[in-house]
Amino acid sequence: MSSDKSAEKYLNLKTKAKEKMESLNEKTVVMVGAATCGKAAGVIDTREALKDEIEKKGIDAQVVEVGCMGFCYAEPIVVISKPGFPSLCYGSVDEGLAVRLVEDYLVNDDPCFEYALVALEPNDYFPVFTDFPRGVYEKKIILEQCGFIDPEDIDHYLAEDGYEALAKTFEIQPEEVIESIKESKLRGRGGAGFPAGIKWDVCSKAQDDSKYVICNADEGDPGAFMDRSILESNPHQVIEGLIISAYAVGASKGYIYVRSEYPQAVRRVETALEQAREKGLLGDSILETDFSFDIEIFEGSGAFVCGEETALINSMEGIMGVPEHRPPFPASYGFRGKPTLINNVKTLSYVPHIIRKGVEWFKSIGTSDSPGTAVFALVGKVEYTGLVEVPMGTSLRNLIYDVGGGVPDEKDFKAVQIGGPSGGCLPESALDIPIDFDSLHEAGAIMGSGGLVVLNEDDCMVEIARYFLDFTQKESCGKCTFCRLGTKHMLDMLGEITRGEGELNHLDTLRELGEDIKKGSLCGLGKTAPNPVLTTLRYFKDEYEAHIKEKRCPALMCMHLLGFYIIPERCSKFCSACVGSCPTEAIYTRDDQLKAIDQEKCVKCNSCLFACPPEFYAVEKLSPAELVEEREREQG
Amino acid sequence: MSDKVTITIDDCKITAPEGEKLLWVALDNDIYIPNLCALKEKDRPSASCRLCFVEVKGISDPVTACTLPVTEGLVVKTRSPEVDRLVKTAFELLITDHRLGCKKCPANNSCELQKISKERGLKYKSKRFKPFEKDEPIDESMEQFIFDRSRCVLCGRCVWVDHHVAEVGAIGFSLRGIKRKVTTFGDYDLADSPCTECGECVKVCPVGALSFNE
Amino acid sequence: MLRRNIDVFEECKNKALLKFVIMLGELNCVKEMFLLELLEGEKEFILEQVSEILKNNRTERENLVPLLQKVQGVLGYLPEPAIEKIAKTIDIPAVDVFGLATFYNQLRLNPPGKYQIKVCMGTACHMIGGQIILESFERRLDIVEGETTPDRKCSLERVACVGCCAIAPVVVVNEFIEGSLTPTRVDGILLQFDGDDQEEEAGEQEQEQESEGGQDS
Ligand SMILES: Cc1cc2nc3c(=O)[nH]c(=O)nc-3n(C[C@H](O)[C@H](O)[C@H](O)COP(=O)(O)O)c2cc1C
Ligand code: SF4
Ligand code: FES
Repeated sequence: MSSDKSAEKYLNLKTKAKEKMESLNEKTVVMVGAATCGKAAGVIDTREALKDEIEKKGIDAQVVEVGCMGFCYAEPIVVISKPGFPSLCYGSVDEGLAVRLVEDYLVNDDPCFEYALVALEPNDYFPVFTDFPRGVYEKKIILEQCGFIDPEDIDHYLAEDGYEALAKTFEIQPEEVIESIKESKLRGRGGAGFPAGIKWDVCSKAQDDSKYVICNADEGDPGAFMDRSILESNPHQVIEGLIISAYAVGASKGYIYVRSEYPQAVRRVETALEQAREKGLLGDSILETDFSFDIEIFEGSGAFVCGEETALINSMEGIMGVPEHRPPFPASYGFRGKPTLINNVKTLSYVPHIIRKGVEWFKSIGTSDSPGTAVFALVGKVEYTGLVEVPMGTSLRNLIYDVGGGVPDEKDFKAVQIGGPSGGCLPESALDIPIDFDSLHEAGAIMGSGGLVVLNEDDCMVEIARYFLDFTQKESCGKCTFCRLGTKHMLDMLGEITRGEGELNHLDTLRELGEDIKKGSLCGLGKTAPNPVLTTLRYFKDEYEAHIKEKRCPALMCMHLLGFYIIPERCSKFCSACVGSCPTEAIYTRDDQLKAIDQEKCVKCNSCLFACPPEFYAVEKLSPAELVEEREREQG
Repeated sequence: MSDKVTITIDDCKITAPEGEKLLWVALDNDIYIPNLCALKEKDRPSASCRLCFVEVKGISDPVTACTLPVTEGLVVKTRSPEVDRLVKTAFELLITDHRLGCKKCPANNSCELQKISKERGLKYKSKRFKPFEKDEPIDESMEQFIFDRSRCVLCGRCVWVDHHVAEVGAIGFSLRGIKRKVTTFGDYDLADSPCTECGECVKVCPVGALSFNE
Repeated sequence: MLRRNIDVFEECKNKALLKFVIMLGELNCVKEMFLLELLEGEKEFILEQVSEILKNNRTERENLVPLLQKVQGVLGYLPEPAIEKIAKTIDIPAVDVFGLATFYNQLRLNPPGKYQIKVCMGTACHMIGGQIILESFERRLDIVEGETTPDRKCSLERVACVGCCAIAPVVVVNEFIEGSLTPTRVDGILLQFDGDDQEEEAGEQEQEQESEGGQDS
C-alpha cells in the first residue's frame, strides 16, 4: 500500500477543509436543526424568518442547516456562533423569536440569555452542558457532532478530523483492523449485541472472490429514531465506518439499507456519498491506495421484519422479505450467496472513533463486557424527550431522572419500556440495574434498537403490552407457525382482557404460549415478540387481574372499561365547553342546566375532559364503567 | 460429501452421509419426526412449520431436524418434555387455522396432520385456543383438482414445486402475517393463471388443500 | 371492479399522474387488491410509462423492489398491467411480483386518496391517544384504517413513529406533519380539505376564464 501517499492526500483534504471552516467561523453562523423532527416542529418557517430578517438588516451572517441535536422537547433549535461571544443554543425558536434574535443579538449584541438553553463552550456568562445534571451523565461519542456540523458539506466533517481513521486504517493490515475491533469488544447495536469483531473475523476468513458489506438502517421500532437522526445529521461518520469495515473484510461493494419512510436521510446520504466520491474517499483507488470500494443505497419498502439480516438480504435480491433459517449466517453465505457483513448504523459509527482514538480509550468508557455508550430515543412521560447517549453501566434511574428530568406533572413513575416491540417493561424496583446488554437481558428486557419509553401512573400495562404485540403481529412475515398464529392468539386474548371479557386462565395460557413462541419461532421477531407481554405479566400481574376480575382498568386507559361522568357539584351551569367539544353530541343539558353524558353515544375520546375549563374540572373518568350508573343513581 | 458418519437417534446407532439433514436420515430409518414443510429436493429448508423439533445433546433448546446437518457422533432424542411441549403447541396452533371435518376431506387417512396426531397422541380440539373458523371459497375452476384454502397449512411445498419442478409460476405466497396465503397472480381463479394442470403441486400437499377430483 | 369517470382520467393523463383519479363505486378500497377496471387507453398509458422506467433502469430481479418503487412514484400505485409488464421483462412469474407488492407496506395495488392521511401509531403517540385520533378519522370518513373512501378523496393509514414524539399525537397528511391533535382538530382538518378543494376549483375556473379571455383578445 502506498500509505505515505494516502496520508498526504488526506492531510491535504483536511487542511483545505479547515481553512474553509476558519473563514466561515470569522463570520456569524446561525445553525438551524433541520432533521425530520425539527421540520415537523416548524423549523422551515424559523429558517425563512431568520434569512429574511438577516437580509433585511444587511448582516453578514450565514444560515446553515444542520441535523438533530437530540433535544426534541425544545425543537425548533437554533445555534448562533457570533465572533466574540460563546456559541449559544436556543430552544423553541418560532418566527417571532427568530426575528428578535436577529435584531437583539446579531445587530445589537444582546444574546437574549432568557431564551438560551445552553452554551457550547465554557464562558463567563452562561452554563454549558456539563453544568447541567444531564451533562454529568451524558457522554457523547457518535452523537457528538450531530447537530453541530452541516451534514451536506463534507468539509465540516473533514475539519473535525473526519476520515482520519480511514487514512490511518490504510497504514495497517486488514487483520490488524479486525484485531483492534475485536480487542475493543465493540458489540453490535442492532439489537442482539453480538461482538462485531468476531463477525468481521468470520467474514474476512470466508474464502470468496467477492464479498459485501451492508449497513442496516432499516430502523423499524415504532418508537425509535436514532439511526435516522445519525444518518440525517452526520452521514459521513457511518460511511467512514462502512469503508473501514469493507477494507477489513475485503469487500468491494457496500450497501446502505434505509427505510424509504426516511426520505430526508436518503437524500442526505446520497449527497454525502457523492461528495465522498468527489474527494476520492470512495470509488476507485480510495486516497490513492489500491483499495477500491463503492456504496449504493437500497431503499426498503416498509416491513419491520426486513431489519432481520436474512430477510434484508432476501428483499435486496428481489424476493419476498422473509427470514431464512440460520446458519448459514450472512457472514459466510449472504447477499448473492457471498459472505456479507451486516452491521447497524450505530455499530459502524463507533468504528472511526475506535480507530482514531484507540482501543484503550473506547474500553475506558462503559462496562468491561459492554464497552462504549448506549444511545436511546427517550420518549413518553419524561420532561426532556429526545436522543440521549450515556456510557454503558449508567443506571436506569440516572437516565430517567437526571438525564430525562424525571416524570412531569407530579405524576408517579410506573415503568420503563426498553427495546421497543422486542423489549420488556421494567418496574420501579428494576431502576437501579445498570444499562448494558447482559443486565437488561436478565431482567427480561433487551437493549434492542434503543427505544426507551417512560410510563407513568396513567399508562395501563396491559394496554401497552397489547400495543406492542399488535405491532409485531401486524409485522410478522407469516412464514412460521408460532409467530403467525401464536401472536394472533395472544393478541386476541389480550384484546379480550382489555375489553373486560378475559378469563383468569388466559393468563397462564398467555405465559405458556409466549414461552413457546420464544423458543419455537424461526427468526428474532418471533423469538422476542412475547417479551412485552411476559415482562408485564411478571411485574404487573395485579393489573391483569383487575381487568379480568373487576373489569376495572387501574390506569383508566382501556376504553371499554371506562365511563365518563360529569360531577354535578363541580359543573358550572353556564359553560358549554364540553357540549361543543364532543364529536358525537353525547353531552346534553339537563333540565337543571347541568350537563350530563349519554353513555350510549359516548365514544370515550377524552375531548370533554380537555374542554372542561381547569377552574371546574368537572369531567371524571371512572372504571369499571358501571360506576357511572351507580353515581347517577346516587344523585337521583 | 460421501463420507459416512455415525449418529445416535433415540439410542439407535445409524450411519448416514455426512451433511445430510437429520430429518431425512431419521425418516429413512423409520424413525418418525413430525414435519410438513420439508422437501428433500430443496437445498435450503424453509423451516416454517416448526414441527420437527428434536433434542440434541449439548444444545439446550430443541432444534429443527430439517435444518440440522448430521455430523459424526451426533446424539439426538426425538422426544423429550420440551420437544413435546413445542410440538403440541405448534400442532394446536395449526389446527386452529385449519378447516376440520376429516370425514368430508379428500385427504382423509393420508393427511400429515392426522399422522402427527396419531403418532404423538395430540387432539384436534384445543382447550387453550379458539379456532379461527376459516371459511374461504373453494377454487373449483380446474378440471383435475380443487384448491380449498381453508385447509391450507402454508407449508409452501406447492409453491416450491410449482416454481422449481414444474417451472410454471402459477402460484405463490402473497400478503403477510396472519393474512399470508397461497394465491395466483391477482388472487384470481386457478383457471385464469398460467397453471398447466401438471398436478405436481397436488402430489406434495400434505393435507387436503390441493386434491385431485375423483 | 369499479368504473371510473372518464373525464377525470383524461385530465390526469394530461398531468401524467394517475394519483388523483376519482372513482365511482361503493367499495372501500383495500390497498392489497386490484379493484380498478382500467379504462380505454389507460392501459396503453400505463404501459408507456412503465416501459420508460424499464428502459432507464437495470431490469434484473435484484432491482425489482426499486423498479416497483419507481413505478409507484410515477403512477401513485401499481396497476395490474404494470406488474405483468415488469414480471415479463425481468422474466419471472407475475405471481412473485404480486406477492412482493402485497407484502410491503409501502406498495399498493390501487390508487390512494387525494389526501393521504397517515396517523402515527408510534409508541409515544399511542400512549397519548393516537388510537383515539385514528378512530375519529375512521368515524368521520366511515372507513377503517388501510382503506380509501369511495370518492377517492381520503385514504387512511397508520404509520410507525415519524420521529416527532415531542408533539404527539401526530398525523401526516400528504407530506405535512401536524401535531398535538385532538378529535376536534380532526374535524378541522377534514373541513380544511373541503376548503382547499373549493379554492382549487375556484382557482382552476379562474384560470380557465383567464385563458379563455386571453384567447379572445
Ligand atoms: C425483527 C428484527 C428486526 C430488526 N431490525 C433491525 C433494525 O431495524 N436495525 C438494525 O440495525 N438491526 C435490526 N435487527 C438486527 C439485525 O438482524 C442484525 O442483527 C443487525 O443488523 C446486526 O448488526 P449489529 O451486529 O451491528 O448489531 C433486527 C432483527 C430482527 C429479528
Ligand atoms: S418468527 Fe415471525 S417474522 Fe420471523 S420468520 Fe417466523 S413468522 Fe416470520
Ligand atoms: S419440517 Fe422442519 S420446520 Fe417444517
